[in-house]
Formats: sequence, structure tokens, C-alpha cells
Amino acid sequence: MSIDLIRPRERAPRTESKPLISRDCGPEGCEVDWLASQRHEAVLDAEDFNDFALEMGWSDGLPLIPPTETRVRRFLAENDRYPDEVIAVLPGDIECTVEKMVINAVMAGAPASSLELLIAAIRSVADTDFELYGVNTTTAPVFPAFIVNGAVRDALGIPYSYGCFGGAATKSVAMGRAIRLIMRNIAGHVAGGTSQTTFGSPGRIAGVLSGEWEERSPWAPLAQRRAGIEGNAVTSFGAMGTMNVIDSTSHGAVDFLEMTGKSMAYPGCNCFSGLVPFGEMLIAINPIWAEIIGKEMSNIEDVQECLWRHASLDADRFQRLHREELEKQERVRADGRVYLTPEPKDIIVFVAGGLGGLHATGFHTFGTSLSQTMAIASATPA
Amino acid sequence: MSKGIVLDPTSQRLDNNESPGPDAGDLAGKRIGFRVDRMWRAWDWISEMWARKFEEAGVEVSFWRSAGRSGQEGERCAQEYEEFLSSIDIAVVGLANCGSCTGWTVRDAITAANAGLPTVAVATRNFETFAHEIAARGGRSGLRVHVLPYPLNEQRKDDVLPVGEAHFLPMLETMGAKISIGERVV
Repeated sequence: MSIDLIRPRERAPRTESKPLISRDCGPEGCEVDWLASQRHEAVLDAEDFNDFALEMGWSDGLPLIPPTETRVRRFLAENDRYPDEVIAVLPGDIECTVEKMVINAVMAGAPASSLELLIAAIRSVADTDFELYGVNTTTAPVFPAFIVNGAVRDALGIPYSYGCFGGAATKSVAMGRAIRLIMRNIAGHVAGGTSQTTFGSPGRIAGVLSGEWEERSPWAPLAQRRAGIEGNAVTSFGAMGTMNVIDSTSHGAVDFLEMTGKSMAYPGCNCFSGLVPFGEMLIAINPIWAEIIGKEMSNIEDVQECLWRHASLDADRFQRLHREELEKQERVRADGRVYLTPEPKDIIVFVAGGLGGLHATGFHTFGTSLSQTMAIASATPA
Repeated sequence: MSKGIVLDPTSQRLDNNESPGPDAGDLAGKRIGFRVDRMWRAWDWISEMWARKFEEAGVEVSFWRSAGRSGQEGERCAQEYEEFLSSIDIAVVGLANCGSCTGWTVRDAITAANAGLPTVAVATRNFETFAHEIAARGGRSGLRVHVLPYPLNEQRKDDVLPVGEAHFLPMLETMGAKISIGERVV
């Protein structure tokens, strides 16, 4: 066995043009019933409907908005997608259509204007390299987290400052929950059923849907760096949760990065597991630190290199059986250390958070699920 | 209390193959392939023990080890697995002993079964129901699943080997196989 390096599959460019679709379901068009989903009669009062949704296995436990035909048709009418368009094929070879996405988005209370973001998010996790098959079934608490770039952040109210990973009161929460309901109801991410997650995570309710504060970043936006996409884009990452780092002591770039990198490397994280041949790491740096670091390191690659160097452990820190497993995988390098990720490029960095500074946030990977960046199409009326 | 019509938010696949696939039959002269992984040493120990028994009975045995399933390594794995399946007559696929590894075990077993090979997925007891659920979700609800005790990988080798010994014949039964052991045909 050898140290596995992360190299994406060969593939066509990700940016795809959006087909021009009529938004008009006007008098003639609407005569055909293009909604194919099964109809159910239900009591629509809040408490009764939520009991019904739980009984049907549609619910995450929180109140839902009944997906009536009127609501679903209204949501669709505000976009330019045919409901039978297949957006992605999800685990179990199950087709995820626009119609099914919209029904779940309606239940979550997501705005109609978020459909293209939701589509890009679902397409990103459906990429083979995201390995949604493993993400869905694992005993780990993993859930897809999403980082958004471009003007769509402000247009949709996606937070990138205070409380951007949870707590900011915006419709981003409903959009995140819509993605989670799609994961549950279409992709089969159901705890104790198709997901064997031992503990689960609060992130499995509304997820993490944050923007990058690109205006405060000394480096190019994440999507541009990763996929050459300028403007609206979403990056998905299979996250095990958020891990806080506080540093109220450091002064310079190297100090902050050393503290952050070292904090990410703990023996029990999945990146060091013998079950995981390779993995990535996602790190959010607050805007205050970003400014300090950027003054000393204008190249993001230098930041990644510095974090990577410190995000490692001496092989002797591992208990014997674990060390032997890592040795077998040739993950102990010539310097006697085991590194969190195969290469510096696998430490993915972005800027977000409030102006109080002081903290970084780490998102550890669950395994070989590789982050994906996808352009967000803009709705183009016919 | 207002009633109304709501739309179903779920999607299911409509096709399902309830067949367990062909029996392995008489194993003499056939090629059995074990799919193993990088995760479970207990499965390495048991599959190696079973391999020896098969070889003693005149069966040709080969192994394929699953690794990362994404990126270039994932592509390599997929190609290797396809070649592996074309080189064997019967597939024994394991080990379903965690969430994602049950997912991949069952997925690889379905690939083998859909290729027409007599196929057995091997799971530990805790993941038995899950394995069947994932098999049904993958369109092969009839997939053969042989169940080993749980917990297993947490046991020492001395405790695991007797489990392998005790489960060899039951696994053959799951496989629908006949094998000559000495003078006996079982």
C-alpha cells in the first residue's frame, strides 16, 4: 500500500449553461398536469399536518409547510425549470427531479428564488467524487456543508459574517433545511434506516449553508480558486461538524496558522483513521486574521502549506495498533509524522465569520468524500 | 380542520429484482473471488481461512481489495473491480461491518449479482437489516447475505478464527454451493 494522493477524476468542465426553459405554464400549458408526484389527502392544520408528515416518514421532526399543489406550482412558476427535469441521480440510482426538489423546498419554507442554488448544491453532492453513497450510509455524523460565492449570497440572504454557520436568522436556514429534506426524502439519508450514523449531528437538520466573505478575503474567492468559477457558485464538503479554535495570543500569520493547524490534528479524527485512506480538511478563517495573514502571505498556497505542515502528528502519538495500521498504509512520512491530508492543496481555506475575530472553524472530513464546486445558474425568463 | 391534497416528497426506484441470483452449485473447478477491504482485519482472517478450505477442495481463489472510491483512485478501483468480476465465477463480498462499508459491500455485491455471478454479501449481525435495506434500495432485494456475529473486528484473532470455521458450511448454504471435503460432499 502507499500514501494515496487525492486526484480528481478526469471530466468535462463543470460550468454548464442553463437550458432556456419557458416559465409560462399559461392557459394551454397548464391544461396538462405536469406534476407527477403521488397525491395524498391530509389535514393541513399545522399540528395535524406535522403528525401526518412524521407518520409518512417525510419529516425531520420540525414543523413543515404542507406541500400543496398551489404552493408547489407557485414555486415552479417563479422559476424556469420543467418539473420532470432530472437534476441528479442519487444513491440507489434514484432520480431527483425538479418537482421533488421543489416539494421538499416548499416543506422547508425555502424561497422560490433559491431553486438554482439548491440545484447546484444537489448536483455537487451527486458528483461521484463526493461519494454520497458513503456519506449517506456511514456510522459517522457527516453531513454536506455548503460554501457560497458570488452576488447570490446577498440576493438570497446567505450569511457570511456573524453566526454564518448557525444562528444567523436568515432564509439560509430554510434553504439548508430544504437540502437536508432532499437528502432524507430522495437520497435516503435517514438515521437508523439507510443511514447508520451512530450519533448524528445537529448539522443534519438544517445543515451549514454559509457564504464566503470574499470582500474581506485577501485571496481569490474559494470557487474561483478551486474551479475557476467567477461569480455565483457553491462548494460542498462532507463535514463531520464544526470544530472551534480560539487564539487570543498570536500576533502574526505563522502563529495563527500554527495554532489552527495543530488544533485540527487530533488522533481520533477521521483523517487519521485506518478506515480512511485519504481525506480533505475545510478551514474557515475569520476576517480579522485573514487580513493579518494576507499581509504576510498573499499566496493562498503558502497559507495551505503552513496549515498542512502543522496539521500533523508525530507517529509516536498514536496508540500502537493505530500506528501500525498507519505504517501499513505508508502514511508515516520520512520525518516520522502523519499528516492530516495527503498534500497542502487538500486543506481548503475560506474566509467567513464576524468581526470579533479570535476564532477559526475546522470542518473535518468523514472520509474519501471529495469537496465539489459547482456554478449556480441564473434564472433566465423565456 | 381543513383538508387538502399534498404532494409526496419522496422518490423510490420502481424496479426490484427479488431473485437471489443463481446458486453457486458444484464448486469443483470454479473460480471464487473474495472482495475484501482495508478496514476489517477480522474479514481478512476469515476470508483467508475460507480461501484455504476452497483451495483444498480444488477451487481456484483470488482476492480483490477495495480502497478509496473517489477521485482517480476511485476510477482505478472501479476498473479493477470490473476486471476482477470478469475473472471469477462466484463472488464473496465483504465486509458489511459499518455504515459506509455496508453501503459499498452491498453495492459491489449488487454489481457482481447483476453481472450474473452467484454472489454472497457478508455482513455482521448488526448490519444485516441495513444490508437488506440497501440491497432493496439498489434494486436487488433478493441479494444473498451471509451473517457473521457482531461485534467481530473487536475480537482477537484466536477468537475470530473459530467463528470463520463455524460459518464456512452455513456460508456455502447461503451461496447454494456444493463442495467436496475429503470423501464428503456438502
